[in-house]
Amino acid sequence: MLPEFLDFSMRTRVMGAAGLVRELGDQVTRLGVERAFIVSDRTLEKLGLVERARQGLTAGGVTVVGEFLDVPPNSDVNVVERAAAAAGEAGGDVLVAIGGGSVIDTAKGMNMVLSKGGNLMDYQGLGLINEPLGKLVAVPTTAGTGSEVTNMAVIKDPAARVKYSFTSPYLGPDLAVLDPEMTLGLPPGLTASTGMDALTHAVEAYLSVSANPISDGLALYAIRVINQWLPRATLVGSSVEARYWMLIGSNLAGAAFSNSLVGCVHAMAHALGGLFDVPHGLANAILLAPGLEYNLDVAAGRIAELAPSFGVWPSGSEEETARAVIEAVKVLAKSCGLPARLRDAGVSESSLNEAAEAAVMDGAIFTNPRPATAEELLEVLKKVV
Amino acid sequence: MAVFKDASEVYLCIGGLFRRALTEPLAQKVSDSKISVRFNYSDPDSAITVDAKNPPPGEPYTIYEGDINFKPDVVMSMKADVAHQFWLGKVNLVAALAKGQMKAVGPIQSIIKLIPVIKPAFELYPQYLKEIGRADLTQ
Repeated sequence: MLPEFLDFSMRTRVMGAAGLVRELGDQVTRLGVERAFIVSDRTLEKLGLVERARQGLTAGGVTVVGEFLDVPPNSDVNVVERAAAAAGEAGGDVLVAIGGGSVIDTAKGMNMVLSKGGNLMDYQGLGLINEPLGKLVAVPTTAGTGSEVTNMAVIKDPAARVKYSFTSPYLGPDLAVLDPEMTLGLPPGLTASTGMDALTHAVEAYLSVSANPISDGLALYAIRVINQWLPRATLVGSSVEARYWMLIGSNLAGAAFSNSLVGCVHAMAHALGGLFDVPHGLANAILLAPGLEYNLDVAAGRIAELAPSFGVWPSGSEEETARAVIEAVKVLAKSCGLPARLRDAGVSESSLNEAAEAAVMDGAIFTNPRPATAEELLEVLKKVV
Repeated sequence: MAVFKDASEVYLCIGGLFRRALTEPLAQKVSDSKISVRFNYSDPDSAITVDAKNPPPGEPYTIYEGDINFKPDVVMSMKADVAHQFWLGKVNLVAALAKGQMKAVGPIQSIIKLIPVIKPAFELYPQYLKEIGRADLTQ
């Protein structure tokens, strides 16, 4: 089959090594900048990870001109505006984001406002940013969102209780520093749920109606890496090797879904996050298997193609192999100690209608292989409540 | 050479499509979306706004040609040629956005809401062009 169209972009230089943050300043100055504004959160500050980055920056001759350390777990439009104002006053020439997806996406939002002016919501839309923004460096402290390499940012509007997606080929950071020592302190539960987020990126990228040959290659290898290393990273958190490979898996998955986008699992997870603050990785972990079951009728062949990456030996019909893949997803989540029910994430059955209505309006639903209705997504949610 | 020679042709063909659709089942779907969308066209410069947010009583939506005095939910910009191909169902939306042939301002959720709604218009547009004696534009 000749694909109708291919569009793949990745503007981020990716560097990875244990302890690389100690050389952060050396790498940042190679971008032609030397005045950094740090974006992070209070937990990472307490854990000493922000200080480690500060030292790495200054050792390389970079001046830290200011910091915004108040990024919450689900960042929002107001936080971005406040942080951008602080960075504007500080007057640096590079944003350095140290954190998980919320921190890095906040920095991306700040970069839009600082580079283009106006308010963050001015950049809601498609095809609106068509030129490079200011310099942005990302140091992920979780292995999940892949935000250090994606062309998008997801930011909540607390008033509308909706998560907005911002997208542009120029949103991706200039440099991503993958240092497994920065993720060693991540507790088992967060390691598992963020890892399942990365797995969901890879799986949905492969099943997306916008999948392309390049994103397919990245997604398949991401699944293989995550399936192999997530249990060890969860159970033996001190393993630098497992942490390194999970950062690689998350990064590969990020590069894949940044180009092919995702599907109904993310649509439902965004809805649950926007409405009820369900952690994104946990929602994806619970919904990935039922989401695959929902897509089985139209995508059994593509799901079956994931079998080798999950270590499943293809046998029987496409549908039988696809069902074995779904089983492998459930086993992986369970082996990492993750819950399988939404009620364990604080979601009640009475709230599912609202979640299904929001999910069918989420941007991620557009690339799901099966055109979804709110009624159908409600049934998916009911199965796992 | 551009498909449409001037703005009046844009309004006759694409504006006319929206008027023609008022009597089709898709009008109800547009009405249910409760959003307003402005299409800004270039070559020739023209603009059509479909407002399903504040329609007159009993009407599914209002069509405005040219300037408007309110802020629509979504603004989509493209060449009139691209719009013509789009309504003929010959434009891959993802590809057009990636190539910069189209841009959209407004909440992505609202834009996505529109996609399933407008699909039936792809069949209606060539049919309508034939009805107004412009079958030459369906080639």
